[in-house]
Amino acid sequence: MNPMNTAAQPQQRQFNPYTENGGTILAIAGVDFSVIAGDTRQSEGYNIQTRYAPKVFRLTDRAVLAVNGFAADGNMFVKKVKQRLEWYRHAHAKDMPLHAIARLIQTMLYGRRFFPYYVYNILGGIEDDGSGAVYSFDPVGSYERETCRAAGAAQSLVQPFLDNQIYFKNQQPAPGTAHPAHLPLPHVLSLVIDSFTGATERHIEVGDGLEIYVVLAKGRDLSGLEGFAGLQEVSSRSDGERIFVIRRELKKD
Amino acid sequence: MFLTRSEYDRGVNTFSPEGRLFQVEYAIEAIKLGSTTVGVRTPEGVVLGVEKRVQSPLLESSSIEKIMEIDTHLGCAMSGLTADARTMIDHARVTAQNHAFTYNERIKIESATQAVCDLALRFGESVHDEEAMMSRPFGVALLIAGIDELGPQLFHTDPSGTFMKYEAKAIGSGSEAAQSELQDKWHKQMTLREAQVLTLRVLKQVMEEKLDHHNVQLAQVVPGKGFEILDEVKLKELVDEM
Amino acid sequence: MDHFPTNWGRPRNDAYDAYGTFPIPNRPLNAPKDAFGEGVQRTQQPIVTGTSVLAMKFKDGIMMAADNLASYGSLARFKDVQRLQPVGDYTVIGAGGDMSDFQYIQSLLDDLVVEEFTNQDGHNLGPKEIHEYLSQVMYGRRTKINPLWNSLLVGGFKDGERFLAYVDLLGTTYSADTLATGYGAYIAQPLLRRAVEGRAGGADALPEEEAAKIMEDCLRVLFYRDARSLNKYQTAVITASGVSISDSKALETSWSFAEGIRGYGAQTQ
Repeated sequence: MNPMNTAAQPQQRQFNPYTENGGTILAIAGVDFSVIAGDTRQSEGYNIQTRYAPKVFRLTDRAVLAVNGFAADGNMFVKKVKQRLEWYRHAHAKDMPLHAIARLIQTMLYGRRFFPYYVYNILGGIEDDGSGAVYSFDPVGSYERETCRAAGAAQSLVQPFLDNQIYFKNQQPAPGTAHPAHLPLPHVLSLVIDSFTGATERHIEVGDGLEIYVVLAKGRDLSGLEGFAGLQEVSSRSDGERIFVIRRELKKD
Repeated sequence: MFLTRSEYDRGVNTFSPEGRLFQVEYAIEAIKLGSTTVGVRTPEGVVLGVEKRVQSPLLESSSIEKIMEIDTHLGCAMSGLTADARTMIDHARVTAQNHAFTYNERIKIESATQAVCDLALRFGESVHDEEAMMSRPFGVALLIAGIDELGPQLFHTDPSGTFMKYEAKAIGSGSEAAQSELQDKWHKQMTLREAQVLTLRVLKQVMEEKLDHHNVQLAQVVPGKGFEILDEVKLKELVDEM
Repeated sequence: MDHFPTNWGRPRNDAYDAYGTFPIPNRPLNAPKDAFGEGVQRTQQPIVTGTSVLAMKFKDGIMMAADNLASYGSLARFKDVQRLQPVGDYTVIGAGGDMSDFQYIQSLLDDLVVEEFTNQDGHNLGPKEIHEYLSQVMYGRRTKINPLWNSLLVGGFKDGERFLAYVDLLGTTYSADTLATGYGAYIAQPLLRRAVEGRAGGADALPEEEAAKIMEDCLRVLFYRDARSLNKYQTAVITASGVSISDSKALETSWSFAEGIRGYGAQTQ
């Protein structure tokens, strides 16, 4: 058949409702805090669409959601989650607890099992018992509570780094000592920043800006945060859990 | 000629010129024909008690069911047209399960109560061509008891879809006498045991028959074990103590 | 009683094989036939298309530009098409992609503007609202797998604030100081970024005349490099004093350099 004659055979063209918009997110839980971070670059293929498109969103005073994958789905998903949180607040006269938000996200994602939201979600915050928590999800709603998780374009670069530095995988403790189960906040923050500078260096879809949300349990002091460059408080009240955001620049090339 | 009461007590959704919905008021009247039902809240938990009218010696008293579980932490007692309560409790159970499924937490007592009351107002209602689901108001009042993060709570619902929170509440035929007795005897630091005994005493006062472990039923919601209908052994023990 | 087991559970059609004359294995399926069941064709490719739209923030507002060409494949079919459209009092939208879908979007926005006006409730549609509305429409249509095949730029100025954002057939949205759709994303966006990000003070320090100059340079490069572009274009400027869209302008281009290129024009050797 003449390869130039494309009309000889019926052609089936399909509209593809998905795309990938790059970027990376991660979250780490401490004993009484949680850190959720994401870069701010949005890209498609080799194009940088914008250098500032947030992927991390404050949901309540103790919950922060990071969304990565197809940006249009991500924005719509966050919008719907926020709507559900507000309905819940009106119906039950309280903010939705973190574990409840986690389950809600599962039901919302699974509700679209046969036309999924093409997004990887990481939820971080403080549980009712005051502990720091991280929940990670796949696009159709499977989820688990973890200590740390990276997702997105540079997941394969960042997760092994976190496994090594947080779970101490492939590390032998010095004789007579044990690895700590939870790391202090300043240590976690420097791991987050190193993760993103590293990912920016080695992955073309990561860069431009970094947003780190820090959620502190009720009554916890700010130790480890004070004097941090680019710190801003975004909590709505100061007598409960508190939320801070740290904004940093990443390389733009 | 249209101002007579009977002109306005037909339609369930027709206000009278004085601004009353007679069918709803009649439904509230129907509760006063029901058997007496009592609920008492304490810091240790909530107690529900009902009188079971055993009209015939041939009646199997255990077949009278006036206290039902909604969820593990949530139960309710009824008075009035008890058959109507089945619809409401079914709705409450589904709502509670749905909440647990979607949010992985127990539903709050007030939220479950609100859900039941939303249903109570859905009489005479129809969505475009659909048939109305209920042609009249429910003829039953509920005492909903449970424990959530706000502690032990007791709610009362009536056919108008109104609900209120109580420390202690009596409904049904003997409710007036029972309520004033509760007002006298209830105090803030009551133990669960005291509440059980108070419930039985109040029921005893307003019952025509002599109270025994066959013609009353008691249930409680406590932290840990949650909702539980007391079996006849425990009931007898309490009756004897009283 | 229907004695043909293959008919059980199926709709009956007495007009067709009433006596069951077909061999059992290939009896007809009597289900009602939908004449269009297999043939619902939605927009699966654009037909008459516009190419790039460019936009940038400058000191006092937003500047946008698009050429006047609507192509039919490689044919330069319509050469006097306006692809920048004012919406309400504060906003301009610019469209690349399918021009009939763009016309439909214009009619949606016309309806929206009329409805908002007749409400007389003190709400005035600004660029933010129009962009949000368009995002919902575009995302809603992609979710129905029936997209409006466009990339749109929304620029505006309201309440002392500049607004510039993008939305496309997938419902993807973003906002930046410089934006370019289509081929312009490859050719013009780097030039625009160099002009704005590379300047001390960024877009806030960019005067209108310079913005216009940068815009024209970008359009010229696009005309040289984009085979689906035209040297006739319009610009829109949105500032505190409102929306203004220019008449069509011609690009100054020079092709004399091409004389020296082997394979172009008459060869001397």
